[in-house]
Amino acid sequence: MANFVQLVILGLLAGGVYVAVGVGFGLVWGVLNIVNLAHGALVIVGGYITWQLFAALHIDPFLTLPVDAVALFVLGYVVQRGVINRIIRAPLLFTFLLTFGINLVIINILLLIFGSDFRSVTPTYSGQGLEFGSVVIPYVALTSLGAALLLAAALAFVLNRTRIGLAINAIAADRDAAQLVGIDLRHAYAVTYGLGAACAGVAGGLIAMTQAITPTAGEPYTLQAFVVVILGGLGRVSATVVGGLAFGLVEAFGQSIPGSGSVFANAIAFGLMVLVLVTRPQGLMGRLR
Amino acid sequence: MIATLDSNRRWRRIFLIVGGIVAAYALLAPLTSLDAAQSANVPLLADRLWFRIATIIAMFVVMATAWNIIGGITGYAAFGNVAFFGIGAYTTGMLVAKAKWPFLVSLPLAPLFAAAFAALVGLPLLRLRGHYFAVASLGVGVAVGELVQNIDYGGQPLFGGASGLFLPIYSIDNRGLYFFYLMVAAAAVSIAVTWWVLRSRFGYGLIAIRENEEAAAVLGVNTTAYKVAAFALSAALTGLAGGIFSQWNVFINQDNAFPIEYNVQMILMALLGGTGTVFGPATGAVLLQLLIQFLGGSLPITFDIPFVSAAARPIVAQVILGLLLVGVVIFVPRGVIDFFGGRSRLSLSYLRRSLRETSL
Amino acid sequence: MSAAPSPHPPASPGTSPASGEVKGAAAAPQLELRGVTKRFGGVAAVDGVSFEVAKGEIVGIIGPNGAGKTTLLNCISGVHRLDGGDVRWQGASIAGMAPHRIAKLGIGRTFQIVRPFGSMTVRENAAIGALFGSAEGRRGVTGAFALADEVLELVGLSAKARHPVSALTIPDRKRLEVARAVATRPHLLLLDEVMAGLNNVEIDEALEMVRAVHATGVTVLLIEHVMRVIIGICRRAVVLDFGQVLAQGEPEVVLRDERVIQAYLGERYAKRLRAERGQDGTDRKS
Repeated sequence: MANFVQLVILGLLAGGVYVAVGVGFGLVWGVLNIVNLAHGALVIVGGYITWQLFAALHIDPFLTLPVDAVALFVLGYVVQRGVINRIIRAPLLFTFLLTFGINLVIINILLLIFGSDFRSVTPTYSGQGLEFGSVVIPYVALTSLGAALLLAAALAFVLNRTRIGLAINAIAADRDAAQLVGIDLRHAYAVTYGLGAACAGVAGGLIAMTQAITPTAGEPYTLQAFVVVILGGLGRVSATVVGGLAFGLVEAFGQSIPGSGSVFANAIAFGLMVLVLVTRPQGLMGRLR
Repeated sequence: MIATLDSNRRWRRIFLIVGGIVAAYALLAPLTSLDAAQSANVPLLADRLWFRIATIIAMFVVMATAWNIIGGITGYAAFGNVAFFGIGAYTTGMLVAKAKWPFLVSLPLAPLFAAAFAALVGLPLLRLRGHYFAVASLGVGVAVGELVQNIDYGGQPLFGGASGLFLPIYSIDNRGLYFFYLMVAAAAVSIAVTWWVLRSRFGYGLIAIRENEEAAAVLGVNTTAYKVAAFALSAALTGLAGGIFSQWNVFINQDNAFPIEYNVQMILMALLGGTGTVFGPATGAVLLQLLIQFLGGSLPITFDIPFVSAAARPIVAQVILGLLLVGVVIFVPRGVIDFFGGRSRLSLSYLRRSLRETSL
Repeated sequence: MSAAPSPHPPASPGTSPASGEVKGAAAAPQLELRGVTKRFGGVAAVDGVSFEVAKGEIVGIIGPNGAGKTTLLNCISGVHRLDGGDVRWQGASIAGMAPHRIAKLGIGRTFQIVRPFGSMTVRENAAIGALFGSAEGRRGVTGAFALADEVLELVGLSAKARHPVSALTIPDRKRLEVARAVATRPHLLLLDEVMAGLNNVEIDEALEMVRAVHATGVTVLLIEHVMRVIIGICRRAVVLDFGQVLAQGEPEVVLRDERVIQAYLGERYAKRLRAERGQDGTDRKS
């Protein structure tokens, strides 16, 4: 029983990272209709910013998260405005290839700057946690979950309560109609992608605290973000939160199956995704688009 | 109008002539490495490096042409075809290395296994459309590679695990030449299959599915069967390339049998050359693979990138490749063949028009 | 457009190439709908619709927007799965069959919003119908193109056979939609508003086209908003409202039915009309 509780807790805690990874990806997909294959690379950029600030200036990693967000927002805004906006009306395959190309460029620039060594962020409290009998809750994971939920809440606030957020919602509903009522599409698109990138950056900061990163470590996160968004259902932040937590749980229980270990993470994620897509295409929480 | 037509025809002719010369050279050069040619003092046109690069190019011709069947003709953006390459490689690899079958007997099973697997995963996957299918198929590519590396049987890795799988070297004279021609034969088969598909009832059904699946269905196209068949055919050809690769390379592991970047490379090749055509993907494969080899510094004609050390060079090459990918997608969305041989001419106004059509 | 060539192999040996009339509904119906029901999220778009179509008839389906006309066609052609009821074709149930199998039985259809195969020429579009379609008289690629040419002649698109579909005008796209369906060698053709958005001259041409197709022995079930069309070619009309059959019978009679007028124009207008007509509401069908 304690084992079960421990698994549930670990799953939910791990789910925090997936929430963070998923919300930005879901936003870009839902509004821009782009499956952003560079998402994982953006996550890792955030990870390196946190690592750099921690290693060079000894700033607490949680305090670097806003820096990640701002830096990645700017990067995302520029990338969307300068590059992706130019093919937004092209068929799906082109946006796929384009974002993959961006992914390639980012990863290799990271390799040029940081090399391929593993980097990890280990604040003094990293090994510690709350203990309730045999159940242990690591501080870092707990705070990460909190930060991820805060991030999702902030994003939901921006989308539902601000001018630009409402513009983004309008675009998601109908691009051409949004343009007719005077929304500057190029700017709004760039802001959307920037917000998505900012979320990815925060996710990267959280990831750097729990595992060592390399420039190429981002790729699984793209696939996982996709699974999380599918799981929850496209189109709402709250659905992605559910999807992320559910994914964390599935992963925790999947890894606890004797003999499988963590090596099948992608296979589990993928199998789950196909299952959801085929049986409930609108996701656990979603409505059909 | 007439001027454009003429110029198009001229471009097409130039293109065909250049292509023919390149193909003839590539097919005949290996013969100079034969002992008979050497003793007759024919200059050696194909060394080991030449064979390596030419075989890889032929391999990509197979993969890009095979991808074209599901991606270009049927319009389903498969992003995980590398799974079939890997399955083909491991089928032949396991049969040769573990079951001790002769290579040529085990080779036909590579496309068979790949096709069977494609049919199996295709049934659920091909119900998905658009992004969903693309990423789900990408997931297949990743997951299969992971499973192959990690599945244990009785405590032993079943497929060689992380340390990979070694095949006995195929003992034959002129090995390089043998495998080059074998891969070229596979490429010829893929192109011939594509040619046949585009002229058959089957192919018309696939194109109808690409253009409008629901309309195709009410006209009597069995869309599920056709899509799965196209997927399996594509997988069979890709698996064939994988089977040849495993014996040629003698060593296979997750990295060289399931490289994620192949997924994108084969699509890019097909797009460069023109999707849905017979020779487009092959042309794109030759051009892009030459470029990749050139940037990677493995071609005899080489170049120096200023301010870049030798160690950083492959990384910079990747950056250039990425930028190129971005550039091609933005400026030439209809494929290079389109403006070299097809309807338009390469000009600034063409590039500007391409931009305007797709941009916000 | 007169003297239309038959795109058909004789539909099935023994049956007359009906130039229209099958005597009475006494003959076994070719198509029979029994309580066909289709729901979308709890709302019944088609709710217990039953009627029959005899071989060789031209039957019109009319009704206000949202009455469930297109949904009904989707139920017949297998695009939608039924939530209730049955569709019977020549005595056997076809409910739940995949669209391509229904097409192979000889039921062809068009889409209200045309769905041409964009990258193909007009001729290739029609050839797809000929290559697939009804299981009878199936042919190879060459034969399919020959049939495509015949069908294009029939609908009056021969001159544009080699054009890309992107170059077609709206009326021509509707013709192509019909041509593609006719090329499947159907026994029954379901036409979904092929005349919507056409001007008067174009409607006359389209009427000719439907008559020509019908003259080759094809039963026609068509959805139409243009009443002139219904009265012009249909012997019988079925009125749908809120997914249910409101009335059916001869078009002139049905169109004078008060309930039909009410459904189309609203209650107030119907009342006024009734007042104007006095108590002359007697010609309602029994």
